[in-house]
Amino acid sequence: MDLDVHLEAIVGGDPRAFGHWMAGAEPRVRDSLRSFARVIDVEAVVQETLLRTWQVAPRFVPDGRPDGLLRMAVRIGRNLAVSETRRMRTTPRDADQLDAAMDAEPTPASTPDPLLRRAIAECRDKLPGKPREALDARLASAGGKDDHDLATELRMKLNTFLQNVTRARQLLAECLGKRGVVIDQELGA
Amino acid sequence: MTDDDELLIEQVASAYRPVSRDELRYHPRWHDLGAAGRERAFARGKALRALEAALDPDGLSTTARAVLARIEQAFPPK
Repeated sequence: MDLDVHLEAIVGGDPRAFGHWMAGAEPRVRDSLRSFARVIDVEAVVQETLLRTWQVAPRFVPDGRPDGLLRMAVRIGRNLAVSETRRMRTTPRDADQLDAAMDAEPTPASTPDPLLRRAIAECRDKLPGKPREALDARLASAGGKDDHDLATELRMKLNTFLQNVTRARQLLAECLGKRGVVIDQELGA
Repeated sequence: MTDDDELLIEQVASAYRPVSRDELRYHPRWHDLGAAGRERAFARGKALRALEAALDPDGLSTTARAVLARIEQAFPPK
């Protein structure tokens, strides 16, 4: 799907429309920054990239090709990552890989699979108490609280909270694996 | 990787980042990771964001939710 279907509402200042756009765009922006993972905090760059995209969207001029705003976001992200790499006075591991990443087009959007969503939700519902509490706290905080605060709210030590997050994702991966769902290997690591 | 490294990766893989007006704010523990740990944190974060999006009614990860919160804070609904 061309994510520019949301463009008119985004330009009109509708954060909800920007949310719909981010649902498709965020994984592709993140993937485009993979080469930088050893030298900069990609999560911080992804968040700043998405914020800057929202800020410049009203001035965006489509070029007639699909996913114009996404392509612009990928450029914003790469430029930000390069600046940040220079600021950190480091070099990415593989300069050729970085060049390739800079030239690459963003990958096409994949449609969320309703069956997969249901399987994940059902596996989440089977999680035991503490791991479920820890995972739900992470989800509810939506990146707004650090793990220390979340642990305190749940009356857990930080390490206990983190061990419960680990257990939650490993159990989810195990549950999904039993259902034949192909998952990211890192989820069960 | 040691158990301590694994817990560090688990922390850095979250979408939490301190709020800042002017500059990129890294996760405070990101600097404690070596290169291999940072790559693992990236991969873990990517896997978690996909999981979070699948569990969210609007298909948004905690990264997207954090960005929306910053937008709504800066531009409150009228």
